[in-house]
Amino acid sequence: MDDGDGLVLHTLRCMGFSSAGRVADAAGISADDAEDGLIALAQAGLVTHERGAFGGWGVTDAGKLVDAERVAGELDAEGARGVLTEAYRRFVGLNSEFLDLCSAWQMRAGGGGPVINDHEDAGYDGVVLERLGDFDGRAVVVLGEISGAVARFGRYRERLGVALGRVRGGEIGYVADELESYHHVWFQLHEDLLVTLGIPR
Amino acid sequence: MIRALSGGLGHGAEVIGGKAHGLVRLLRLGLPVPPGIVVGAADCREYLAAGTLPDGLDEAVAALGGRVSVRSGAAVSMPGMMDTLLDVTPPVATAVAAVFESWNTPRAVTYRRLHGIADDLGTAVVVQTMVYGDRDGRSGSGVAFSRDPNTGDPGPYGEVLFGRRGDAVVAGAERTLPISALRAREPGVWDSLCAALRTVERHYRDVCQVEFTVESGRLWLLQVRPGGLAGRAAMRVAVDLAREGLITRAEAVARADPDRLPRTPLLAAGIAVLSRGLGASPGVATGRVATTAGAAVRMAAAGPVILVRPTTSPLDLHGLAAAAGVVTARGGPASHAAVVARSMGKPAVVGAPIGELAEGRLVTVDGSAGVVAAGEHTPVASADDPAETTLRKWAR
Repeated sequence: MDDGDGLVLHTLRCMGFSSAGRVADAAGISADDAEDGLIALAQAGLVTHERGAFGGWGVTDAGKLVDAERVAGELDAEGARGVLTEAYRRFVGLNSEFLDLCSAWQMRAGGGGPVINDHEDAGYDGVVLERLGDFDGRAVVVLGEISGAVARFGRYRERLGVALGRVRGGEIGYVADELESYHHVWFQLHEDLLVTLGIPR
Repeated sequence: MIRALSGGLGHGAEVIGGKAHGLVRLLRLGLPVPPGIVVGAADCREYLAAGTLPDGLDEAVAALGGRVSVRSGAAVSMPGMMDTLLDVTPPVATAVAAVFESWNTPRAVTYRRLHGIADDLGTAVVVQTMVYGDRDGRSGSGVAFSRDPNTGDPGPYGEVLFGRRGDAVVAGAERTLPISALRAREPGVWDSLCAALRTVERHYRDVCQVEFTVESGRLWLLQVRPGGLAGRAAMRVAVDLAREGLITRAEAVARADPDRLPRTPLLAAGIAVLSRGLGASPGVATGRVATTAGAAVRMAAAGPVILVRPTTSPLDLHGLAAAAGVVTARGGPASHAAVVARSMGKPAVVGAPIGELAEGRLVTVDGSAGVVAAGEHTPVASADDPAETTLRKWAR
């Protein structure tokens, strides 16, 4: 497997079932390259394509094993395990805060317990988004440490930045609803760190 | 200023923090609380401004003798946001300073902004003689409610972990037993705990939750919190407390006004429950259990599916998209699974044992109450809930 196919396999491994277009965007490569990579990986039995409403490209169990071995080997070859492990420790602290923020965005305290946030209260939403902006400013620092250790993680910073930009432009589905929302990209980043460091979820 | 924990301590929660305030109440009620001291919220403000700790800290802690716990306790509850340090060997200056500093972690700051809590309050710290839930076979830790917080049913509800400290219960990593397991294993402790729950409930005139540790067959209470019930459970408890004469009918209506409670569908009380966890995304859904995302997608073609996973990763997202509801064994209401389920508007129960949830079994999940029931059930209509009917009658 060449590095290009390895990147496609790993990107899909961290995203879950996706279209070739989404894999291309997440990996930062052309749609044609993603498609070619996926077809080659499918021939090797590492990915599969399912039809249907919830279908798309997905990794096979064999694909997961090959990817885990490949990213672990890459990490040790670059001597980056120590730095990434340390950055992951800081990521975990940010992750708790971020999930609190997502929960506060989706649910808010009501008289008799939490209720769904209907986003009618601009004041409340404003506070959450202000904190998301503050959070992002601190996440950038840790993301810098992570991509300093393993360069491919830099793409997460870009995708998170795009999501936050759309939120600021009024597309609030990019907090946690859309496939390229801040939460979904962050969720994939979390998965990537776990897979790369070989930590079970 | 350092104050000894005692029933005579007269300060409010704004001075000594909510945790110490509750412990003082427990002491006044004659309930067992490990000896301790309180470092006030004013000392936190002083420390954060000038870096100095109050005089007499080391002496006061030394007088307790032995190892201690060092716990945060702000005037307003901020669960899980600040540090708690267990089994600390004195002197405790470093530990107390660490708890004070945890007032200003970004996560705590975010929590305060979201909940409208002032940044300059600071937190008190409670230092208590350590009690060991892992001392021997007659030791353990747990949490207990005076009534079932999901349904409002009377009687103790909660969980216990034998041979472990309280942090193991809170971490949720180990399988706990229902609180009733205490009755067979430590009948004396069970009786003491039941009596204590009745006592605090009468005092607070509300449902209470306590954290406890059993050390060599002896019960110790570490925290008490009144209230906090939601939805139909809150209505049921308000009606029962009024009938028991603890509160007036007017108070019951004020506490659980059916018109102010969230209108989320909930299952009727008293149905056969397969598993309980925490409600993480409101709503009720019925379907057949699928234990992998792939199975969820395949089975969804034939009818509604409930995705049941130990935990979720992005590899489960297509299964979640295909499912009508989700149950996870691990994780809390602020987990990736909960966020994704809410974003899709699907009921979710998290932190629920999944041993009974075999592939293909027909189940109903209630994402408000945190319940997984066997078979198909429809949500209760308001008119069919006796507690709601009673409250509406009292409100007239």
